[in-house]
Amino acid sequence: MDRWELRRQDYSLDSDQEDVREAFSEFFAKESPSSVVRAAEPLGYDAALWEKLVGMGVTTMSLPAALGGDDATLVELVLVAEELGRNASPVPLISHVVSVRLLAAVGADRAVLDAAAAGLPPVALALAPLTGTSPALVPDAAIANDVIALSGEELVLFRSAEPAPFIANHGSTPLGRWDPAAASGRIVLASGPAAVSAFERALGDWKLLTAAALIGLTQIALDTAVEFAKTRETMGVPIGSLQGVAFPLADVAIGVTGARNLIWRAAWMSEYEPQARPELIAMAYANAARVATRGTTTSAHMQGGLGFTIEADASLYFLRAKGWSVLAGDPNLDLVGIGAGLVVAAG
Amino acid sequence: MDFSVLQLTAEQEQFAKEVQAFLDDIVTDEVHERELETGDGFSATVHLALGERGWLYPTWPVEHGGAGLDAVSARILDLELHRRQVPDITAGTTALVWSAVERYLDSAEVDTMRLDVARGHVRFCLGYTEPDGGSDIAAAKVRAVRDGDEWVLNGSKIFTTGAQSCQYTFLITRTDPTLPKHKGMTMFLVPLDAPGVEIQGIRAFSGERTNIVYYSDARISDKFRLGAVNAGWAVLHGPLDAEHSIGGEESGLDDISVGRSFLRVLERALDAAVDWTAAAVRPDGTKVADDRSALQRIGRVATDLEAGIRTPGPLGRVAGSEALVRGSADLVDLVGIEALVSLGDRAGSELGAVEYGHRFAQGTATYGGTVEVFRNIISQHVLGLPQMNYPGRKVFLAPGRSDAMAAAR
Repeated sequence: MDRWELRRQDYSLDSDQEDVREAFSEFFAKESPSSVVRAAEPLGYDAALWEKLVGMGVTTMSLPAALGGDDATLVELVLVAEELGRNASPVPLISHVVSVRLLAAVGADRAVLDAAAAGLPPVALALAPLTGTSPALVPDAAIANDVIALSGEELVLFRSAEPAPFIANHGSTPLGRWDPAAASGRIVLASGPAAVSAFERALGDWKLLTAAALIGLTQIALDTAVEFAKTRETMGVPIGSLQGVAFPLADVAIGVTGARNLIWRAAWMSEYEPQARPELIAMAYANAARVATRGTTTSAHMQGGLGFTIEADASLYFLRAKGWSVLAGDPNLDLVGIGAGLVVAAG
Repeated sequence: MDFSVLQLTAEQEQFAKEVQAFLDDIVTDEVHERELETGDGFSATVHLALGERGWLYPTWPVEHGGAGLDAVSARILDLELHRRQVPDITAGTTALVWSAVERYLDSAEVDTMRLDVARGHVRFCLGYTEPDGGSDIAAAKVRAVRDGDEWVLNGSKIFTTGAQSCQYTFLITRTDPTLPKHKGMTMFLVPLDAPGVEIQGIRAFSGERTNIVYYSDARISDKFRLGAVNAGWAVLHGPLDAEHSIGGEESGLDDISVGRSFLRVLERALDAAVDWTAAAVRPDGTKVADDRSALQRIGRVATDLEAGIRTPGPLGRVAGSEALVRGSADLVDLVGIEALVSLGDRAGSELGAVEYGHRFAQGTATYGGTVEVFRNIISQHVLGLPQMNYPGRKVFLAPGRSDAMAAAR
């Protein structure tokens, strides 16, 4: 890696990007307040909300215009995912959008792609390659009939008549115990190295969008804690004036701000120069997972015993930070991968 | 949003070549050896040579001693100076102080001084901290007492880094101890060769040299006063905000993190540790490159580094320092005993960057205000948290008008 390469360092959003951000910010704020999030528990899916979101074109926005999309880039998608996270919205946006992009990337049959892009019901992605035919825990499989998985050297769309049985979980996401052997249909999307690389690209997209959602989640957790710290008093002063409270919150702000920019940079590079810094996605993801774990923990703790109660929105953020960031496995494995890549490049 | 590689014009390409050729000549091994020995953060030969070409303030107009460079060319030069590790502490403090000097010094003096500053002959250091004051700059006690057209200075300042290489120090003094502490201060540009000024070196374990400066009945002309008497806090605030990166403009070219220069030290340490890992074999015959715990450590440091580079302004100041503090300690652990060998005893090895990084890191948590000062800034200015009403904030440093003031309030 050339550390002295002369690159632009422009993190500003253009007016189209600002519009996307604002539209989804308004949508989620209006349609997905915490009462909606709570009402959707424990499954973590609000079908009516998902239908409205599909109506905004979110499932097709990143498809090429030739396939009925709007050519939106990963940069716009991470902006949307952050807004989703900021409201802890109970919709399978990330796995669905990633799955649809994957179908388009492998040149899936137009009828299959169009059905998936329609979004009802959503399509899920198995984040780990299948091991034989054993059932696996797959995010969003509890609400999807179609699941895309890497099975050996084949990338396969499995079709079932019914979604997989729901497994209640830490982050209230529609986790299903999905059994590939129970599928009624099996469409091979790609095979050989093309299947593996398409799957890895999709997993990278999933990690980027999940990182963005985690940062949205951490930002709202921080905002909530800051408001609390401004008004709650102890010994005659607002607790936010105490460094023991203010400094941990400042650290959350530092973490969130850097993580967001790192995600933007990784999304931009992944879109325009995917070969230049492939480790950026793993960095953005592992970093966001850690920032979210620490940030939502701190934000809940700064609200004392109240932050530990189910009534406090802090609990929603805390549980989802872990509940979302471990769906693809231990983020430390991403660090091992980053280290290995750097050492190989040096060797 | 744009992170693309810059497409240079033919002129910019040509300029980049000129920069290379020029720096090849002036940034010699001797410059680095001297810096290692003295810890000055300054090389007179390089500084004057850059000044001669207008490259100390490259975007200034030529008639002011700059080179009239466009932003891209200035960035090319800046990156190249960093790449070659040109000692730049004194250049940095001079630039910070100049904005206040230009605004507050008598305009005829400014016109004479501007070219000398641009050419590198006049340099400034920061006279803020006092031996018992730490980061609380407004607690300054160095006294300035008026005597006709002169001022008489008494007291001492610490961490006046670069004083041995500068002509003036940007000094904050107490001119009226009976006023509330932020109100009784006055700024001066004090000639360091004035009788009664004594500079004494202090070394840090990073190898850097800083100073304690004593003022014993030092007399300076009133023309060196910057701003009104007792209005020093406002004069100081421009350079201080610039140092704390408050209210700056984003160019889309420059690094956004105030901690970027700290992270360059971590980059060098990481690159050296990664090279070592690729080749190293442990005493039991296993390759370090096959050890997942080693790879995870490298992945963690590289990730913290990347996040630090992306963290803007004062937030990046904290992120940069702390990524370096944590990361350099991690890299020493990774390499183990070989990382401990002192610089002088490791001819040809790049691993010195790891050992140096670990020593240098610690100072970065204090430079320009401690990371705690910056966390205060972030708490109040970014998060909008209430400021604690500490008793020391509005303290009166001497009895006098305080009773009358209290009554007036």
